[in-house]
Amino acid sequence: MSSPRMSLAHYTRLWLASARYSLVRTMMFRADFIMWSLVELFWMGVNLLLIAVVYRHTDSIAGWGPWEMTVIVGTSMLVQRLLMGFFWTNLFEMGRNVRSGHFDFFMAQPGNPLFMISTRKIDLDGFLNAPLALAVVAYAVHRLGLQPSGWQMAAYALFVGCGLAIHYATLLLIISLVFWLQSAKGIEGGYFGVNEFSRLPREALRGVAAVIFVYALPVIVVTNVPARTLLHGVELVPTLWLVGAAALWLTIAITVFNRGIRRYASASS
Amino acid sequence: MLAVLAKYRAVFVVGLQSSLVYRWNFAVRAAFSLVHLAFVFILWGAAFAGQTQVGGFDLRQTLTYFIVMLVLQFFISAMNEDYEVSEDIRNGLINQFLLKPVNYYLYRLTVFVSARLVSGALALLPVLLALPLLAPYLTLPPLSWNYAAAVPALVMSALIQFTIAYCFGLLTFWFLEIQSFIILSLAVETVLGGQVFPLDLLPRWLYDFSAYLPYYYQMYFPVALLTGRITDEAFILRGLGIQLFWVIALLGVAQLLWHRGLRRHTAVGG
Repeated sequence: MSSPRMSLAHYTRLWLASARYSLVRTMMFRADFIMWSLVELFWMGVNLLLIAVVYRHTDSIAGWGPWEMTVIVGTSMLVQRLLMGFFWTNLFEMGRNVRSGHFDFFMAQPGNPLFMISTRKIDLDGFLNAPLALAVVAYAVHRLGLQPSGWQMAAYALFVGCGLAIHYATLLLIISLVFWLQSAKGIEGGYFGVNEFSRLPREALRGVAAVIFVYALPVIVVTNVPARTLLHGVELVPTLWLVGAAALWLTIAITVFNRGIRRYASASS
Repeated sequence: MLAVLAKYRAVFVVGLQSSLVYRWNFAVRAAFSLVHLAFVFILWGAAFAGQTQVGGFDLRQTLTYFIVMLVLQFFISAMNEDYEVSEDIRNGLINQFLLKPVNYYLYRLTVFVSARLVSGALALLPVLLALPLLAPYLTLPPLSWNYAAAVPALVMSALIQFTIAYCFGLLTFWFLEIQSFIILSLAVETVLGGQVFPLDLLPRWLYDFSAYLPYYYQMYFPVALLTGRITDEAFILRGLGIQLFWVIALLGVAQLLWHRGLRRHTAVGG
């Protein structure tokens, strides 16, 4: 049995091999890479344009000024870019592979199946715009005249990581349903629809909407906690909430995935 | 003439039947649109806090704009038409249209009309279910010339949307993968079609410029007519004129792409 350190080295090597494969593949289809990068860039522009237009006619949205709101929107874009870059294609291909029986290929690989399906490809066009999303956040913080401490920035990075974990877990949970339902069609639209709420400040939601998008689904917390950390410093309760939500959703998603694998009927004879 | 109509009537009936097979997909899509509508309500509700008007319109008028936009999208928007044309070309299915007395554009347009009738009807279901919640926010202008002008505007909007999608599908004659073109164009259409925010909230010079683009007439123009955001008769007539120009221009582009594309096309197989 290999030691944890050996395992970590083993998985790091596997991940680097996948990253190298993705890089080579992207460079083979350079025009496609440029087009998809432009697509992502345009959609980020759409989100920022909405904020710019709304703030032409109002000074505040639920107590948040234009640059504070830009920090939220920028953070939402950053988490989204990282999700697209690392996991989106892999998880959607998992749904297709389970239906077609190609999932066998991952079961037979030398590593944990969840790791193998989650890291097979990296979408570089997603990454290309992640620094841009970060630059949007940095510019908004600069316009607010704030100078976050190293501690705040480290906490922000950690919280973005937690947000990424929550999004990954949510997607994995939904896609894992193909083990039972055979189809995950229409989920993409639903995911983007729900994710729109991550661009809203917590204070804008009341009543049922607050129950759903603040408490039941951690959509708001994913962006609001990192944004508040840069704007107001690290706050204990929201920090515990975000880290706890990430741990909880990851646990649920991994449990459902493992249950699903047990149901998986291999395509081989 | 009657024989031609009968031909496309048959296509229309088959299109209706095919669309009904995907009724749950349309219904789910419409239900998810209500999630987007909830986002719009919350965002604009928060933006209106402390003020009665934004850009000359109150909260109810603004929310009515988005509700009408949502419903009309299912009646006149192009959804998968670009991909369907692309698949026909990639798989060689257009070969049959080259041998039969069927105009491919009219065939696709007929299928589009039947599909939108189904998707529009199905979109009304979740909207009707949500009507008790939406009703307090609905405020439509009194009966006026606007409604009469909205009829040709809606027809031409559907033609513009379909023809743009058709043209993107035809790009498959030149490019193997057109998805990125489509999604890039969708971002532009979404903003300049007024789906993200009412275009009249843009700076005046940008709004005036957008009124010369085809995107303005894809969604914003008919919705603005129906919700009373555009009332000036001279402006409406000018808008209908520009919209007609874009319909004709896009039909010309579609024809050009079709004929040029066919020169590159190779039909194989028995």
